[in-house]
Amino acid sequence: MLSANYFDGRSTRVRVVNLSVVGEDLVIVGEDVDVRVPFARVKVDERLGRAPRRLRLEDGTFCEVRDLDALDTLLSATAHRDGWVDRMQRRLHFVLLALVACVALAAAGYKWVLPWAAAQGAQHLPPAVGRTLTVQTLKILDGRILLPSKISPERRQSLSDQFHALRLPGGGSPASELLFRRSSQLGANAFTLPDGTIIVLDDLITLINDDPQILAVFAHELGHAHGRHSLQLLLQSSAVGAFWTFYVGDISNLLAAAPAALLQAKYSQGLEREADDYGAALLMQNGMSPALLADALRKLTESRPGSSKGGYLSTHPSTEERLRHLGVLAATFKNK
Amino acid sequence: MDKDPRPESPPQSSPPRAPEPLHFNGSGAEYFGIWIVNLLLTIVTLGIYSAWAKVRRLQYFYRHTSVAGSSFDFHGSPVRILIGRVIALAMLIAYNYSVRLHSLLTLVILGAIAIVMPWLLRNSFRFRLYNTSWRGTRFHFRGAVAGAYRVFLLNGFLTLITLYVMAPFMHQRLKAYQHDNTWFGQTQCSFHARVGRFYVVYLLLLAAAVAFAFVFGLSGIGAVFVASSEAQKHGGRVNPYAVFRALGILYGGLIVIGVSIGPAFHALVTNLIWNNTRLGEHRIECNMSPFPLIWITVSNFVLVVLTLGFFVPWAMVRLARYQLESVRLLPAGDLQEFVAADPETIGAVGEEAATAFDFDISL
Repeated sequence: MLSANYFDGRSTRVRVVNLSVVGEDLVIVGEDVDVRVPFARVKVDERLGRAPRRLRLEDGTFCEVRDLDALDTLLSATAHRDGWVDRMQRRLHFVLLALVACVALAAAGYKWVLPWAAAQGAQHLPPAVGRTLTVQTLKILDGRILLPSKISPERRQSLSDQFHALRLPGGGSPASELLFRRSSQLGANAFTLPDGTIIVLDDLITLINDDPQILAVFAHELGHAHGRHSLQLLLQSSAVGAFWTFYVGDISNLLAAAPAALLQAKYSQGLEREADDYGAALLMQNGMSPALLADALRKLTESRPGSSKGGYLSTHPSTEERLRHLGVLAATFKNK
Repeated sequence: MDKDPRPESPPQSSPPRAPEPLHFNGSGAEYFGIWIVNLLLTIVTLGIYSAWAKVRRLQYFYRHTSVAGSSFDFHGSPVRILIGRVIALAMLIAYNYSVRLHSLLTLVILGAIAIVMPWLLRNSFRFRLYNTSWRGTRFHFRGAVAGAYRVFLLNGFLTLITLYVMAPFMHQRLKAYQHDNTWFGQTQCSFHARVGRFYVVYLLLLAAAVAFAFVFGLSGIGAVFVASSEAQKHGGRVNPYAVFRALGILYGGLIVIGVSIGPAFHALVTNLIWNNTRLGEHRIECNMSPFPLIWITVSNFVLVVLTLGFFVPWAMVRLARYQLESVRLLPAGDLQEFVAADPETIGAVGEEAATAFDFDISL
């Protein structure tokens, strides 16, 4: 015997009834109620927390049960079995398993799916998007973080000419624009903007002070331009920002910018490798050794030993691994 | 401005009975299990299961909410919700694509969305109410399509061209459209808040925000002056702590206003709406105070961020408990005498489209 409230589905009147299982049937007896139906035709609600569970009959009437454990005992005498999702939601070890699986899937999505999707997006966006983003970025940076270069116009012209004379591995010459700037905050650095425009800072030129090696750095940056890495990172960080905004809700706008800013700082190891490979191929195409890029990298590393404050290498991780890889590529060049 | 002919207080037919407060007995830990399992299934099915997850979420919250000893229930079908989500997603993509296009097609797509939207929203009210029940009797929404076009398109247009001066008016008309057309079985609800009351709430909030901004702005600028005059005394060197203090006051003030205004507005306007809504002769009382709501919203936000989202179930339960338990039903008669209406079927498309476009028209 199990006490329940019975509703006829036509009014809000509450009738107190007793439930029992007799053979294959559910028997409902109480004030003006005396019903006997095959249990197979009764629909039983999921057990959601401590909410009352309803046993629904086909004619729209139902019984509302508050004593959930007693109902489970009653149900065990029938052919009814709770659904698998229903059971998972209530078992601690399944809940913990789901938690671990969600974290793992989120991490995998962030590590592999997001960069892949962003790379696809970067490849398929019209060039005008990259152009607009570059113009906006330069508008913000110029005059604040980026100042006019102090390298002599002749030197700049010479570097520019050598840059544009490079032959790309796929044929043709670089379509990227090369801009010279100076910055006290960013140190010896070079970077590629979303439309492929390459910015080189004065400190990098004076530090390396060797044209073939500087060209090797340009070759590496052309690798980023070729792979549209800058646009990919931008898409990635804005996707994270959008997700975060959606997830956390309306007052998150301030915080939504934070992960985006964090992400922006670093190219991943994979993208660096891609740019190095492209740069090495480009150098070999032009009869130059990939060792030049390794030499340039070494100079940049030595200029700030153990320092994490700004500079080319802070945005370009794990130099030793890259030097080793470039060494292998240079060896193949020598053997040719 | 408002020519509502209804009297403010109709004659009472029977002596008032004891108030029936709403109770919510959900728990964060319990809901976490449901939430995480459904989240996993949603991820694994690339979002398809989200419709089932949504039904479970609504059922969890409805079934843990009770009044006069009986709980509410949600009956929506996941498949209908899924179809609605697909349509909503298609519209969202069309919208995003068209605003970037800057061509004639932009106008065509935006126009088409504007024309379909009121109809979809009205259908979403129908779906949501039809699938809500208490003691086996369902709610219904009987608003005409023409009313939806007046409330959303015409009033929306008026609000835009008057630079939001008409926003309280639009809000009142929207709530009147929703609540006057809501039925519980064969009992109709009615809405009695006049436009003037909405203007009072809006202006109160605006005045509070301006006053706060003024106070914070003045003390921020004051702090800047102190910092610069100290700097002049000490040979031009600016004390960094003074600068941080000034910035802290300015930005802190901005954040305080930013995070408080939403919940405070929600509390005041929700009270206004429900205190002026009746179910037949039964009255409703809603006593939400702005400060607890601000506290719950802000602390929820901080905890959700700190736990990378895993606090969400507790946050939802906390918020629901506070909001629901500030409501009481003041019965004018027997609550056993409501009679159900004839069955009808309604599509879920409207509701999903409304959620995807993030129009906050609920409650």
